Amino acid sequence: MQVPKTSSRSSANLAAVASFVLIVVVIMLIALMNAPTKGGSGVMASFGSYLAEVRKTGMPYMLVLGLFAIALGVVAATVVRREWPNPQRRRTLIAAYAFLAPYLLVTFIFTVGVILFALYIAFTKYDIFTEPQWVGFQNFANALGKKTFWQSLYNVLWFAVIVTTAQTIIAIALAVILNAPMRFKQFFRTIFYAPSVTSSVVITLIFIWMYLKTGYINLFFDKALGLFGVHWKAIDWLGDPRGLIQIIAQAFGGNIPSDQWYLRGPSIAWMCLMVQNIFTTAPTFMIMFLAALQDINPTLYEAASIDGANGWQQFRKITLPLLRPIILLVIVLGTIGTLQIFDQVYLATAGGPLDTTQTPVYMIYNEALGKQGPIQMGYASSIAFILAAIIFFFTFVQRRVIERGTEQY
Amino acid sequence: MTAAAPTATRSALARAEAKPARYYVGLILRYALLIGIGIVLLMPFILAFAGSFKTDSEIIAYPPKFFPAQWLTENWVKVWNTSLGEGATFPRWLFNTAFLSVGVAVLEMIGCSMAAYAFSRLQFPGRDLVFNFMLGTMMIPGAVTLIPAYVLMTKLQLVNTYWALLLPGMVSAGAIFMLTQFFKTVPKDLEEAADIDGASKFQIYKDVILPLARPALLTVFILQFQGMWNSFMAPLLYLDSPRMWVLNVALSVFRQQYQANWSLTLVGAVFNAVPVMLLFFLFSKYYIEGVSYTGVKG
Repeated sequence: MQVPKTSSRSSANLAAVASFVLIVVVIMLIALMNAPTKGGSGVMASFGSYLAEVRKTGMPYMLVLGLFAIALGVVAATVVRREWPNPQRRRTLIAAYAFLAPYLLVTFIFTVGVILFALYIAFTKYDIFTEPQWVGFQNFANALGKKTFWQSLYNVLWFAVIVTTAQTIIAIALAVILNAPMRFKQFFRTIFYAPSVTSSVVITLIFIWMYLKTGYINLFFDKALGLFGVHWKAIDWLGDPRGLIQIIAQAFGGNIPSDQWYLRGPSIAWMCLMVQNIFTTAPTFMIMFLAALQDINPTLYEAASIDGANGWQQFRKITLPLLRPIILLVIVLGTIGTLQIFDQVYLATAGGPLDTTQTPVYMIYNEALGKQGPIQMGYASSIAFILAAIIFFFTFVQRRVIERGTEQY
Repeated sequence: MTAAAPTATRSALARAEAKPARYYVGLILRYALLIGIGIVLLMPFILAFAGSFKTDSEIIAYPPKFFPAQWLTENWVKVWNTSLGEGATFPRWLFNTAFLSVGVAVLEMIGCSMAAYAFSRLQFPGRDLVFNFMLGTMMIPGAVTLIPAYVLMTKLQLVNTYWALLLPGMVSAGAIFMLTQFFKTVPKDLEEAADIDGASKFQIYKDVILPLARPALLTVFILQFQGMWNSFMAPLLYLDSPRMWVLNVALSVFRQQYQANWSLTLVGAVFNAVPVMLLFFLFSKYYIEGVSYTGVKG
């Protein structure tokens, strides 16, 4: 780089200072918005009174973020000072961050800012309307000491395992069926995908209706078993707390008492929601598999069939290995989604019967809004972070396991 | 079914000549399977549609009949005329839903294409850092941000305003990622010509990149429109006064308050499903491209 003239050097210094100030001010404003104070609509009525609130409870938080803001500001100032003398690079730098500004602002306010707030709140007792009080790990201890919480984890783990497995297998099967040469491919693809387009609220409502004691599901079993002369006793599907393992035990004359809920397996109500969830999500993942199948080189299959491999062998030895990256993606996305199930529970079962459809996100919702007792934002936040840790753990493990499996190919 | 043979691939034809009988049996079985699966997947919608014309007693009678004894349009009229007072009417909920869906989709097309342009076309310090940061935010479960975002909304007095959903909805990491990948496939020649002509970066973005990216932008629009139209938890939290409800929230409230009223619930459900279904049938090509594009990123 040429030696810059003194005038451009001083303008570079000026720009560096300006960018430092800009970044510190913006970050501190965002931090201020998300400072742990009491919430509610009145708290920001005047700037002065809000600042007083922040001073009361949010100073440690603001201090930490202040240090972060200064560090980021220094980095930015250094970069600006380096890029400034070159007009081309200066213009690119300004343009780039101007283009990124909407994204960065929204993300820092509504993602980064609120997560830091939630992290702080998770260690406090907080009901929105009064100041947060620091309680240390009390919220986490409360959550881990509560049967409902463990049962909600137990439920979503069953849900994640069964739904993710089933929807992945069904999605692959549907994609393979659709990938065969045929007429009306577009038509069938559209029809198959239709359940994934509609909102979960709509599908859940329709399924609740079909699961009624007088609904179509009971009618189906009635007619189907009637063909073999077996009498079908109508089930109240979404109200039935009997667990899968419990039913098997009962078939052999045993039973599992309710204080050993963790041995009962997923309840009938819970499995009904599983079926519904598989029904709506399998087609979404089918599309991903279909796109991946179309990328597979057809000569591989031709070579295999010349070597005498039959359809199943071709599927096992060519299709599945080549689909591995997408399978990983689908399993990870499926696990993240199923561990956070909410809509279906909210609408269909409200966590019942006997907490067998209770889920962590449903608990978070209820505790945070005080639907079943006082508002406990801090407690809800601590559950959210435990859940996030579990989700990260599963994502990490799945990635490791499936990637290791890929190495042999 | 035999009409399907001419379009089958050459290898399939070769097999057809070798073993005609087995081939046609396979063909018929395959289409039977396809039609069977199609019927199963559409069945809930067909049943709900037929059910929305039944009377209240008919709808929960056992055994249920497939078609209503009489096709009653009263349910539909009744749902359309629903009113809870103070402007909380069914048309208003429909408007809220449509306005928010279009609003979020349009804002997202703008916000995300700007970010994607910077990521894909500009060489600037910190690019990889910001991009990786963005990919990292995609990993954050929604359950973590929902509650604190609600507190922020109460502070900023945005609860029960459209902004509560429009502002956070302005950008999404997934859409930026998709557009970035798409922009990278657009040839650079035009831009370089524009650059030599002295066009600013913004002019290049507006006049060169955006027109070329129309299919990708349409995909973003459709996916975000559908995402907002179908979203439930965020509007449930942020828009809780009856006037501001979206269809999903209104449906859930009615479901909880009038448990037995299934015919009206089904009308609402069908009403809610039809617009996205239509959009999907019209633009299924873009739609499926978009889903597979966001998916096949490895």
